Amino acid sequence: MKKAVGVALLCALVASGCVSTGATRPPSPPPLVERCDATQARLSVEADQRASPWGIEQHVARNFPGRQVSWLMKDSAYQTFVVQTNAKNFGRCNDTGCYLFAAPSTVIQRAVQESMKDGKHDPAALGKALGLPARNFEGTLRMMTLDLNATGVCVRLPVESDPGVWKCTSPEDTDCFKFGGYTSGGVPEVMVINAPVAQARIEEIP
Amino acid sequence: MSDEEVLIQSPLLYRLVRDRSGALIIEVVVGGIAMSAVRVRLDARETAAYAREGQAFADRLAQAIMADPPFGGRAVDVP
Repeated sequence: MKKAVGVALLCALVASGCVSTGATRPPSPPPLVERCDATQARLSVEADQRASPWGIEQHVARNFPGRQVSWLMKDSAYQTFVVQTNAKNFGRCNDTGCYLFAAPSTVIQRAVQESMKDGKHDPAALGKALGLPARNFEGTLRMMTLDLNATGVCVRLPVESDPGVWKCTSPEDTDCFKFGGYTSGGVPEVMVINAPVAQARIEEIP
Repeated sequence: MSDEEVLIQSPLLYRLVRDRSGALIIEVVVGGIAMSAVRVRLDARETAAYAREGQAFADRLAQAIMADPPFGGRAVDVP
């Protein structure tokens, strides 16, 4: 009887938080919007209001395991616009920042891996996996990966005014930008601001 | 060695070059999670606009190509 009462008391104390089991929950990371400057924070808040009840926090939590993002670039473009210019950040830069579309690393890496055949990627398979035309993937590619937590970069839902957006001109258009955090091929995407070249892992995809 | 003279190399991810024949060609990075580049040869009207306005026109032209990469069938993929 005494033992039963003791067990019940211990359970009650654990449940009330008076006794620690040693399994403490890690503190929640600060909101992503806090990483952004005033301009990007305003855009992020507006985008979240449009997408409500969805938002960048839920989007990253659900679709970006480990908060890792990746993107692809033809090697020729990478050489011309990143290497030769000694770029400090990836993406299209104006006086408000450098704007880069990125997808979950798991999605990009799996698509690349499954497209490999005899040591080379198959553009058709990669295009099909990512819902994009095969010609976007012809020739040698570069795959970049960035840890959003390690870099602390600003990340938000992409919007129509972002540099590089291919605007849809009719509801039937598919190969173009539609607001909501997914590409026309259904791949989750985010807009990363000022993604540092020095902190990205860059792999050649033959 | 390239036969092209680079007139503008923009952080917006485009460059404007003049080829050996004197024609102006704009090379623009297009796409989102998968980026590639296309080239568009400037026509006479665009060449004149660049002569008048310089980089401001090139910026607008690059943004127009990013927003519509086929660019009316004029864009050619860079290998």
